[in-house]
Amino acid sequence: MNHRAVVAGFKQQKIQFFSDPQWIIPSLVSPFLFTMVMLFLYGDDVDGPIVLQAVLGGGVLGMWANTLFASSFTISYDRMNGTLESIMVAPSSIYSILIGRSLWSTAIGLVNAVVVFVIAEVMFDADLTLANPVLFFVMLILTLFSLASVGMLIATAFIRTRMGRVLSTIAEYPIYVLSGALVPITVLPEGLRVFSYVLAPAWGIDAVKRAAIDGCESMFGVSMAVDVALLLALSSLLLAVAYVVTRRVERRMLETGSATRY
Amino acid sequence: MTGTATIIWATAKNTFISRFTVTPPIFWALQIVVTSFFTMYFFSLLAEYVGNPDVTVAFVVIGNAVQSIAATTLYSVSEIPSVEKHTGTLSSLMQSPAPMFTVFLGMSLFSIFSGAVAVTLSLGYAAFFFHVSFAGCNFLSMALTLTLTCLSLTGLGMLIGGAGLHLRTSAIIANVVAYIGLLISGVNFPVSYLPGWVQAASACMPLTYGVEAARAAVEGASPAEILHPLGMMVVLGLAFAVLAWFAFRFFERLLRHGGKTDAF
Repeated sequence: MNHRAVVAGFKQQKIQFFSDPQWIIPSLVSPFLFTMVMLFLYGDDVDGPIVLQAVLGGGVLGMWANTLFASSFTISYDRMNGTLESIMVAPSSIYSILIGRSLWSTAIGLVNAVVVFVIAEVMFDADLTLANPVLFFVMLILTLFSLASVGMLIATAFIRTRMGRVLSTIAEYPIYVLSGALVPITVLPEGLRVFSYVLAPAWGIDAVKRAAIDGCESMFGVSMAVDVALLLALSSLLLAVAYVVTRRVERRMLETGSATRY
Repeated sequence: MTGTATIIWATAKNTFISRFTVTPPIFWALQIVVTSFFTMYFFSLLAEYVGNPDVTVAFVVIGNAVQSIAATTLYSVSEIPSVEKHTGTLSSLMQSPAPMFTVFLGMSLFSIFSGAVAVTLSLGYAAFFFHVSFAGCNFLSMALTLTLTCLSLTGLGMLIGGAGLHLRTSAIIANVVAYIGLLISGVNFPVSYLPGWVQAASACMPLTYGVEAARAAVEGASPAEILHPLGMMVVLGLAFAVLAWFAFRFFERLLRHGGKTDAF
């Protein structure tokens, strides 16, 4: 991995974010919407833990949406704008560049979680005290790492297609359902829950909720150590798969000269 | 065929071809099939989990079925000028003597078609997967409701799209309106839950009336009984269409005078 390419990828994604601020939607508007729908559904019965659950759920869904859309567009845009060739001729691997870009999207995910948290605190004046703030912060970082690994896989898988946008739109709500962020996966049919088990961030979400809300039980029925172990194992697997896919796609594009085919 | 009809026909045909060239029909269909189902499923699970007695699964499912029109009309229609600008084809379009409003109206027919498919499919899901009873449904009322919802939201989409001629992207405005619409239009919970000033904003959204009329139609209300929401959709749809016409004229002139069709 090339450290300078990672930093450059991070910086480039930051510039792209501010010059084309439509990522504000998954980062800020969408988590706000999910949080508010849940709170309005509860009516007047909202108290601290419920608001916290809604805020965490909405915030995590926003992080999911940000990962999904930013990752699927990141290389598609280069392909569409004709800048993918320039990236390909650089001596650095696309993998390093994508790591840098995913890290920016992940960092924005953290910002959106904080913003939703502040909005809910101000609007509902609820007591949003975290059960274990240190553990919560650690688990949030690990969840962001798992989201970044998913983002890496999506970005590499979508390099060769011009349908990144369509595919990410197709994946959006199924992922919301399976993630367990707003609605615990225990309410899903058994057949669907299997898909949640392979989503690395779902284990992170489980751990985040338990660290934040006093008395919150695991939706997987496991200890927090198991949550963390599975999150790390699945995220590492995703990164490894992303690495293999990137190498293959990169080689294929160099052989066929199809970087600008659109 | 008159000139206007020719322009609408030509641009609509071109849009159908170009959309299906970039996205094969199977993926276009998959997007509608999956997104419609999982949006309804997600919000119905949420409603069930919260357990508010006022908000039944049927309430949420019908709301989201009608809302599926918004996803495919309001958002897609408003995005058309921005996409043309982004892909560098706006200049070519503006060289034609056809008014931009008419050109983009033709292009929006694809989105209207997608909206019609999405809502039909969603109502099918409502009946077969979510067990909403349509036994007493007044299908004439439902058809009128869905048609007017589709057209009025297209008018709103065209209005936002008009600004998209000038802006780098209209996606942000469209997304904000679409998301806020989802929150304030009574899709997932009754409008009465909202604070008073938000209810006033909700009265300006065609989706509010579409959702209200659709729920009434499922319970058997005749067109005469839902005249108010239907009438409001006609009024709002016409108002948005007129405003969109002026917006296109204004921004088209601004672009031509400034030579900024490719400014990005």
